[in-house]
Amino acid sequence: MSEKKSLLSAGAKIAGRNKRYVIWFYLLNLTLASFGAAAFRNQAHAILDHSLYADKLLHGFHLIVLLELLARPDFGPTNASTMPAFYFALLFFLATMLFLPGVLLGYASDHRLPRYEFYRTCGQNIWRFVRLFLFFVIIAGPITGILGAAKNALAKAADQTSNERLPFFTQLVCLIIIFLVLTAIRIWFDLAQTRVVIRDEGKVRKSIAAAYRSMKHQRVRLLGSYVLIAFLAVIALIVGIWIWIKIVPAASVLGAFIVGQVILLVWLAARFWQRACAVAFYLEYENETPVETLSVPETVAPIMPGAQPSPAV
Amino acid sequence: MFAKCSFLLIVIAASSLQVFGQAAPNTAAIPATTSAINSAQPLSQRIVAYDIDAKYDAKSHSLDGAETLTYHNTTGQPLDTFPFHLYLNGFQPKATWVREAKQNGTRDETLDKWETKYYGLDEIKSFEVLGQGDLTSQLQFIQPDDGNKDDHTVVQVHLPKPIPPNGFVQFKIKFRDQFPETLARTGWKRDFLLAGQWFPKVGVWWHGAWNCHQFHGTTEFFADFGVYDVKVTVPQTEVVGATGVEVSNINNPDGTKTLTYHGDDIHDFAWTASPHYKILEDEFQGSMGPVKLNVMMQPAHWSQAERHARVLKETLDHFERWYGPYPYKTLTLVDPEVGSAAGGMEYPTFITGETNWWMPGGLLLPELVVEHEFGHQYWYGMVATNEFEDAWMDEGINSYTEVQVLDSIAGPNTSILNQWGITAGERELQRQGYIGVADLDPIAQDAWKYFSFNSYGGITYGKTASVLLTLEGIIGEDTMQKAMHTYFMRYRFTHPTKEDFLKTVEEVSGKDLRWYFNQAIYGTQVLNYEVLRTDSSPVDWYKKEFKEKKGETEYESNVWIHRKDDFIFPIDIEVKFDNGEKVRERWNGQSRWIRYSYQKKAKLESVEIDPDSKILLDRNNFNNSHTDKANSAPVRKLANYWTFITQFLAQMLAWWMV
Repeated sequence: MSEKKSLLSAGAKIAGRNKRYVIWFYLLNLTLASFGAAAFRNQAHAILDHSLYADKLLHGFHLIVLLELLARPDFGPTNASTMPAFYFALLFFLATMLFLPGVLLGYASDHRLPRYEFYRTCGQNIWRFVRLFLFFVIIAGPITGILGAAKNALAKAADQTSNERLPFFTQLVCLIIIFLVLTAIRIWFDLAQTRVVIRDEGKVRKSIAAAYRSMKHQRVRLLGSYVLIAFLAVIALIVGIWIWIKIVPAASVLGAFIVGQVILLVWLAARFWQRACAVAFYLEYENETPVETLSVPETVAPIMPGAQPSPAV
Repeated sequence: MFAKCSFLLIVIAASSLQVFGQAAPNTAAIPATTSAINSAQPLSQRIVAYDIDAKYDAKSHSLDGAETLTYHNTTGQPLDTFPFHLYLNGFQPKATWVREAKQNGTRDETLDKWETKYYGLDEIKSFEVLGQGDLTSQLQFIQPDDGNKDDHTVVQVHLPKPIPPNGFVQFKIKFRDQFPETLARTGWKRDFLLAGQWFPKVGVWWHGAWNCHQFHGTTEFFADFGVYDVKVTVPQTEVVGATGVEVSNINNPDGTKTLTYHGDDIHDFAWTASPHYKILEDEFQGSMGPVKLNVMMQPAHWSQAERHARVLKETLDHFERWYGPYPYKTLTLVDPEVGSAAGGMEYPTFITGETNWWMPGGLLLPELVVEHEFGHQYWYGMVATNEFEDAWMDEGINSYTEVQVLDSIAGPNTSILNQWGITAGERELQRQGYIGVADLDPIAQDAWKYFSFNSYGGITYGKTASVLLTLEGIIGEDTMQKAMHTYFMRYRFTHPTKEDFLKTVEEVSGKDLRWYFNQAIYGTQVLNYEVLRTDSSPVDWYKKEFKEKKGETEYESNVWIHRKDDFIFPIDIEVKFDNGEKVRERWNGQSRWIRYSYQKKAKLESVEIDPDSKILLDRNNFNNSHTDKANSAPVRKLANYWTFITQFLAQMLAWWMV
């Protein structure tokens, strides 16, 4: 428990020291989503701005009026607004993949990472992270598929009984198992990403193997930390939505915006906390095990106790 | 003379017995029992008496039945042909029901794949007519609606000797049922059974002809009133509920039990069996006497039993006060097995609800279903319209009264949903169902001729409810309620037509409403008015020294109202000015558009069509008003939700994938 606590607090310290990354990613997230919602906004403006009927959407939330709006031919097809949202969500995913190496290096540094160093690391690791992503998909995809199929089969079997709650709880338990398995895989690849960046490791397969070994030794501790952080994020989400519904007045657009954004900021911070935990674990683990003969970039040297500076990058 | 006449009468009587067959009131008559109703006298003209003995095999979901049907020929003419419904045969892959359900959708399951468990069968093993012998070989399947030779849902028999006017005939039918896993309404699911439309059922002689339609994907049922005595034998582990009153419950030595039920002045009989039911018994004090309420719940829903009983009693109370008395001694509410597709169905004195174990208190779907199905005790059960040809008269009128009752119970804007700040009202829900299919089909149409199941649902339920709610705006709410009461009292225990209903409304309101009914009931006209344009300009705009000053500057304001579609309807328009002044206009809607002009020391602030929200039929409410100043707050609110969802999804994608 104390070990877990120390990993969580070490991660929290790292994430707290590098708050700017969360803020930047949050702003990027908000900006892209705003673009993603632009089509919806434009479609709705033409119908709602001069209509008294729109008041039903402002003072309260009349579900049927919203459905009526979405079904209006002059509102346009719903995919005209859903697709941009999807594309911008995809863009955020790509941006995360692009800038994450810089963040990980920043987390591993005991000083503020210079901007050029941040971008240099990002650029240097693009292809490595793409490969890591592909490996993640190759591993997580079939496992998710198999677990999903097992879940469906169990739910179907549970559905044969007259116990109505059984299919639900079967699905719930299966989903929790899937969540735990996927979290474990995520931890594995988080460690691999960390290793690739910190060691400037070009051979991602080697990092994946090493990350697997390191994770295997302390999987409960790592999994516990990740799950606890995710649990806290879910609590924050529930509390935030409760405040949104119960406290913020229906017509207060600004109030709803602030509460919503705080929820999202906390949600994002939780993920960065997890990553910081992975970095903290990696640093601690590498300290305890023999350092492999790998070159380490100069800029990384100060935060790698015991590691040798690389002669050249 | 007298002797000659007597002799002639004897000869005629003897020959008529030969020609018309058995007309023996001693052996065949309709009982005048009243043990299942709170009335000393029969309430309907009883045409049929069904006496059925059924043995259910729970393992194979099959049933062996022996039915004695006594039919009273009140048609005023001799009858030698009798058609019978065999509804369960609809659940066969080439049957019309399945064919239409596959093509157009159904109320419950999608039919992407045919499985043997869906197979249903109602097979006549023997068919005897008292005094005319065994006519099993004479039975012939007919397909009066679509000529589909593979459809065996209607069978016809031709009697060698016709049944004279006012005569009786008795059919003795042995049949075997194979229940399907429920695709819609009837059948089994796991160890649950809902036996609906499960026995050979004679058609209705209506307007000078037999009315006995095939079973269609969208259609329901039509039958004559009468008396039912039904014995059901099931394993002793089963808990059984049924139409009518329970007369006896006897355990048999072979591990089965036989329950006997009796029903008066009803036109169908359904029953259910499951080992799991828990029963809440309650009572409602009706105006004709006490009504015993049996609420049969699934164990997982037991905590909602009170909730079901409460809405049932509240609904009964509203119907008794608004429309007329409920005369039956029982009402059984069944909460069917989840996923059984048997929920939300009505049979005389027997209805099915629908819920889930997680149903939140603010989501009033169980209330909606219970209210709706109970409403059918009036609009189908007692006012027994032809559900094949006039589906709107049971489903639509019932949807209208559903809006009224639920509005009264749970509030107009929250009668469906009032949870987490999100609200929805039944009134808007009905309208929403209609506006998407507004121009596809008329209300007055055979139920199986709709473009699709969505169109059938949207028009039959949603449009009818919206038409009648809009009618309230024309004749007044109180008059409409009076018309509904008159219609119920006048036509209960009969089979009224659409004109019977429409003429009653006209009679009670004292208004000629043909202009409305022709468009709304018989036509496909779409109602859609809009504020086409507004304009408010200073009168002295051209003067060089001109400067606008509130309260002093004179404006010329114009408002253009446009009838976008073809439904002509008189409308009210409210024009508001920025000094608080309001002007009401009334336009008959005859021309395509109209302009209203004003010259005032005030600027136009807003224009609103139908400011009292009386017109539910308008297809687009967003264009019914126009404000001078734009208010972007609603859009910002919605865009905020949208942005939040997009951000969250983006984060989740990045969370798991990178």
